[in-house]
Amino acid sequence: MSSDARRSSGDSQAESTEPLLAFADALLSSSQREPGRAAGEVQQYVTFFLRDDEIGIPILQCREIVRVAAITRVPEAPDHVRGVVNLRGRVLPAVDTRKCLGYEAAPLTARSRLLVVEVAGRAFALLVDRIARILKLATADIVAPPENARVRFAIGVARDGDSTITITDAERILRPGSMAQALAPRSEEA
Amino acid sequence: MEELFASLLRDFVDETAPIAREVDGLLLKLEAVWAEGGDAKPLLRAIRGGLHTIKGNSAMMGFSPIERVAHALEDVCAQVENSRGREQASLSQLLFEGCDLLSALIQAALAGSVDGKSADLFVVRARESMEAAAGPKSTPVPVESPSRAEVAGSASPSAADSEEGRGSARIADRDVDDLLELTGVTIVAQTELARVHGRVARGQFEASDIALMDQLLTDLGRTTREMRHKLLRVRLAPIATLFRRFGRFLRDLARERGQAIELCIEGGDTAVDRAIISRLYEPLVHIVRNAVAHGIESVDERTARGKPAKAQILLSARLREGRVNICVADDGRGLDLRAIAAKANAQGMDTSNCSERDLQRLIFQSGFSTAPSVSNLAGRGVGLDVVASVVQGLGGSIDVRAASGRGTVFVLDLPVTVSLQKALIFGVDSETFAAPAGFILDTMESREKNMQAIGRVLLVSWRGDFVRAVDAGRLLGCQGLAQAWARPYAIILQAGNKRGALLVDWFSGVQEIVVKALDESLASCRMIAGATVLAQGRVVPILDCVEVVRRTNVALLPEAPSEAKVEASYDVF
Repeated sequence: MSSDARRSSGDSQAESTEPLLAFADALLSSSQREPGRAAGEVQQYVTFFLRDDEIGIPILQCREIVRVAAITRVPEAPDHVRGVVNLRGRVLPAVDTRKCLGYEAAPLTARSRLLVVEVAGRAFALLVDRIARILKLATADIVAPPENARVRFAIGVARDGDSTITITDAERILRPGSMAQALAPRSEEA
Repeated sequence: MEELFASLLRDFVDETAPIAREVDGLLLKLEAVWAEGGDAKPLLRAIRGGLHTIKGNSAMMGFSPIERVAHALEDVCAQVENSRGREQASLSQLLFEGCDLLSALIQAALAGSVDGKSADLFVVRARESMEAAAGPKSTPVPVESPSRAEVAGSASPSAADSEEGRGSARIADRDVDDLLELTGVTIVAQTELARVHGRVARGQFEASDIALMDQLLTDLGRTTREMRHKLLRVRLAPIATLFRRFGRFLRDLARERGQAIELCIEGGDTAVDRAIISRLYEPLVHIVRNAVAHGIESVDERTARGKPAKAQILLSARLREGRVNICVADDGRGLDLRAIAAKANAQGMDTSNCSERDLQRLIFQSGFSTAPSVSNLAGRGVGLDVVASVVQGLGGSIDVRAASGRGTVFVLDLPVTVSLQKALIFGVDSETFAAPAGFILDTMESREKNMQAIGRVLLVSWRGDFVRAVDAGRLLGCQGLAQAWARPYAIILQAGNKRGALLVDWFSGVQEIVVKALDESLASCRMIAGATVLAQGRVVPILDCVEVVRRTNVALLPEAPSEAKVEASYDVF
């Protein structure tokens, strides 16, 4: 079908299109490639802070990190959804991660960021106090979480020098409360 | 290929015929202005702009008779500008006749035959009349083609119009059958629901009725979604209709620069919503113009770099993950990162930590043009920030990638279909909302004499009727004014047979917005049907007017309002 279109575009241009097209493709794919799945047991985690706690989620669930632009309040939104944000033309719910995980509310600061995650084909912007780092962890580095109310959402805990990182994933962050229902299998949408 | 041509043809007629009608209307106005002795220049410019667009569109489709007539009419316009009295009258008559001929030829194009003979006769007659009118001494005035800005200006409104009123879409018999069948299913479900409703209303229902209603509602939801999906598909058209318009455009640009530039088109048969196609023309014009102005080197420079003298611009489209990716690529010099950084620094931005990609993306920020001088090509009106906001408004995103010395690629990632709606934008406290225009009966000032409170029910009188009113700030939970119900305006809504008035701080005209669904995590927001992105990327919730009207009709004024305050606001109390 592309040959049809090319034929329609004129005489002998057919062959000469190729280099520019190939060039465009090469440029596009060079920086669009997904971060490669870490080999073997090692996985990468994006970590962020809520108050003084460092929390990590798999990098494969993370799409990007953006500064907090205007969050539009939506009347009658559930408590843990602060509103919606515009991410390059897409409207995403801005989730108050503190509320989801049982922390007290806090005002936005200059270091506040939105961590855009994708869960089951749906994108959410998680509002966090600040982004910490990207951490490589082997499965063996992660141990079972202590019996502590705050870390109910934890899959495990990892240590890195003096710091302790609570490891979880986006589903678990979004699961508690009304979010659980929100993430229930969704009806197919055209 | 035949289908592609047929659709191109239809688009050509859909787009060009109204321009001919428009020119006709402008000619009438022109006569009126002449009669009053007013300034006819703006009108003539608009007429020539319209003729120029017709000429360009016809050339692209290979309808040279139409092109020739439009061209002759442009000549007549040029002469009529400096004419007086009888000469003016005879030339304007010629313009009217030519305009009729254009309309007839455009319609004939749809049938597949454009009569070259009548066109030639007219062109000859036009030349004779012009010579006769100008008298023996003067020479014919050369055609001065309208500047590109004017052409774009005259072409764009018609492109925007194409979605409304005069837009036509062809629909396959199979799709009509499917839609009819889906409508049938909907009617059956509705009848069944009415029956259950009857039992519930009489209080004679059984437990199984609840399950039945659940089932029916699910079915209805599925079929209506499917209908919507099929209807959206009807609006698809090959994107070649858009890309082809650049053939002419680029040819002119190339001629201006005295340099050969070739347009390559890939994936022209990719089907995209007409609403998107009609809105993409201007953003693409800007990107292509930029590519030529900033990207493509002079012939000497290209030769020195060992590049072919003939430059290339590629327009490509392809479907990717349910969306359409549109590329505009050039084989020019790439982006001048140093110039971008310098410009950013001059604006007080620290770029020391910026990656190459970050720097490239800076060009989408406002006030960013790195053209060393305001040339004929660059520095016109809109910037790439405006392009980005148009693309975002359509639910898409734009990105750029470049390789130094080899070229630049702009990528527009867009949905294949969009859902458009006309809506009134209004504000209350510091927040902005959109209300679908279909539900709006009227807007008015909410003066004291229009307002009346009976107990805790607030009423606004509208055309001799009383409508329940509610403060939009209170209904929508905005944080703001304490004296919540002293808003200056009222929006009268109607949903079904119910009316309601929303009291608001301000509203602006009805505009077309792109409707985006909200994530299911916001399903609890019953008063909000979706969201749209306005200029500057601002997200604005769209009201579900059915729910809002329902709530308005049960809303009460705050409990135990202080009498004094109420009297101060509305002394009718």
